Amino acid sequence: MKKWNFLLSALALAFVFFLPFCTSVYVLNVVGLILIQMTLALSWDLLLRSGQLSLGISGFFGLGVYTAALSCIHAKIHPLLGIFFGGLMGGLFALLIGVAVLHLRGMYFAIVTLALAEALRVIVRNVPTLSGGPEGMVLPSVIFHGDALKTYWLLLAWALLNIVISIFFEKSRIHFALTSIRNDEIVAESSGVDVFKYLVCIFVFSSSIQAVAGGMYAHIYGFISPESSFSFELVLLPIIMAVVGGVTTTWGPVVGAILLGSVAEILKVKIPYGHLLIYGIIIVIVVLFFPKGIMGTFKERMQTNK
Amino acid sequence: MVKLSEKLRQPNYRIAVVSIFVGALLAYWKPYVLIEGIQRAGLYAAIALPMALLMGVVGIVNLAHGDFMMLGAYFAYWVSVYGGVDPLLAIVPALAFFFLFGCIVYLGPFKRILQAPELNQILLAFGLMIVLVQSANLLWTSRFIKISLPYVSASTTVGSLTFGTFEFVYVVAAVTVLVGLQLFLKKTTWGQAALAVGQNPRGAKVVGIDVDRTHLIIFSVSIAIIGAMGALFLARHSISPFIGFPFTLRAFCLIAMAGIGNLTAILWVSLVLGLSENFVLSFFGYAGWADLIYFVLIITVIMIKSRQRQVK
Repeated sequence: MKKWNFLLSALALAFVFFLPFCTSVYVLNVVGLILIQMTLALSWDLLLRSGQLSLGISGFFGLGVYTAALSCIHAKIHPLLGIFFGGLMGGLFALLIGVAVLHLRGMYFAIVTLALAEALRVIVRNVPTLSGGPEGMVLPSVIFHGDALKTYWLLLAWALLNIVISIFFEKSRIHFALTSIRNDEIVAESSGVDVFKYLVCIFVFSSSIQAVAGGMYAHIYGFISPESSFSFELVLLPIIMAVVGGVTTTWGPVVGAILLGSVAEILKVKIPYGHLLIYGIIIVIVVLFFPKGIMGTFKERMQTNK
Repeated sequence: MVKLSEKLRQPNYRIAVVSIFVGALLAYWKPYVLIEGIQRAGLYAAIALPMALLMGVVGIVNLAHGDFMMLGAYFAYWVSVYGGVDPLLAIVPALAFFFLFGCIVYLGPFKRILQAPELNQILLAFGLMIVLVQSANLLWTSRFIKISLPYVSASTTVGSLTFGTFEFVYVVAAVTVLVGLQLFLKKTTWGQAALAVGQNPRGAKVVGIDVDRTHLIIFSVSIAIIGAMGALFLARHSISPFIGFPFTLRAFCLIAMAGIGNLTAILWVSLVLGLSENFVLSFFGYAGWADLIYFVLIITVIMIKSRQRQVK
C-alpha cells in the first residue's frame, strides 16, 4: 500500500514537472487555474477539519486580489511582495472578523461568512478612487511579463507547498485538537482543548492561503473587478472539488480539483450559461449519495479488502 | 413623576423613549428617511417573518429563502402576462401554488436535508440555492423584468411633503403576516403542535405529535408566504434571478437581531435596519454604503451576545 502511494506521487510529480515542456500555453493556463482552485479547496478543507463550514472563500480570495493588485498599482512594489501583502491582509482580516464570527457554529457560521464576502464586495465598490469601483482596474503589467512557464512554476510551487503543509498538518497537534472539536466540542473543551484559540488559528491560516491564491490570480490575469474577484463560482467550485474528492483528507481536494477542474473547463466551453446549475446538481447528488467522496469510498474499499 | 422615572429604568421603556426621540428627530431633519424607512422596514419584515418561522420551528436556516421570493415574483409575472391578471391579485394563486411547491420541495430534497448531519445540511441547502437561482437564470435569463402599473406611483401630499403611498402595502403585508402567523401558532392545533416542535422536537414526538408532518406544514406555509410576497415585490420592483440573495442575508440579519423564535420583535428590528439604510441612502455620494449596514448589524449582535454570555 505504502509503496503504491509513493509510486503514484512520484509519477504525478514527474507529470507536473514535464508538463510545461510538451503542451501549449492554453493547457498551461488551464492547469494554472486548476492549481489555484486546488489551493482554495485545500484551504477550505483545512477549516472544515475543525467542523466549521465556511462559505466565504470568495471573500478572502477577493481581499487578496485587491490588496495584492492595489499595493502594486499605488505603491509600485514588486508583484511577489504584493501577493505576500495580500496574504498578510487576508490573515489580519480573518483574525479581526474571526474573533466575532467564530462564536457561531454550523449553519449560522456559514451564512455569516457568505455575508462577509458580500460585504467586502460592497466595500470595494464604494471606494472607486482606490479600487476602481464597479468597473474594476487594469494592472500596469502582469507578473513575469506574461511568461506562462514562470507563472506555472509559481502556481505549482504554491499548490505543492499547500499539499505538503496539509500532509504535515495531519500529524500535528493542532490537527488532533481540531478533529476532537469536530467530533464533539464539549468533550474537546473539557479535555483541555482551547477551542476558540484553535479555531481562530486555523481560520486565519486558511484565510491567508485563500488570499495569497487571490493575489496570484490578480497578477496573472492583470485585471481586477468586484464581480470577478468575489464571484460566486469561487465559493462553489472549490467546495465541490473538496466534496467530490472527499473532505477532511489531503488527497480528496487534490483529486477532486484535478477531476472537476478539467470537467469545469469543458463545461464552460460547451454550456456557457448552465454550468453553475450543473455544479449545484453535482453538489446535491454527491452529498446525498456519496457523502464520503472519492477518497473516502476508496479508503473504505481498501479496508474491507484487508 | 416617580412612576415615570421608575419605568425609565426598565430597558424596554428606555428603548421606547430612545426610538420615539430618534423618530421625532428624523421627522424633523429628514422626513423622507422616516417615511421611506418605514416602508422599507415593512418589506424586510414581511420577508424575514416566514424565514423566522422556519428557523424557530424546524431549526434550519433556509439559504434559498430569498430565492423562493424570486420564483414567486416570476410566477406572478407569468400569471399577469399570460392570464391578464393584476400582479397583486396573483397573490392568491401564488399562495396556493407555493404551498404545493413547498410540499414538493420538502418531500423531495428538503426532508433529506433535515435528516443529514449538520455539515451536509449546509452543503445541501447551499446546493439547493444554487440550483434554484441557476434554473431561473436558464429559464428567464439574467435580464431585469419590470411591470409598469399605474397605481404604483400613487402619491400623497402632506404639508410640504410628497411621498409614494403604494409602498405602505409592505407595512400592511408585514403586520398581516405577523398577526396571521401569531393566530395560526396560538389558536390552531397545527400551530400549537408547531410551537411544541420548535421548543423540543423529541418531547413533541414523545407526546404524540407527528414531527415530520409539522415540519412539512411549517415549511410549506413559509414558502407559500414568501412566494406570495414575490407577487407583492414584483408590483414595485424590477426582478432578475439574482434579487433573492440580498434579501436572504437581510432576513437573517433581522432574525439574528430579534432572536430566534421571537416573531414580534422582527417588526421592531426591521425598523432599525430600514431606517438606518434609508438614512445612509439619503446622503449623496455615500448611498452605496447602505448595503453594508446589515453586515455591521450582524457582527455587532454577535459581539454583544457573546459578551453577555461570557459575563453570565
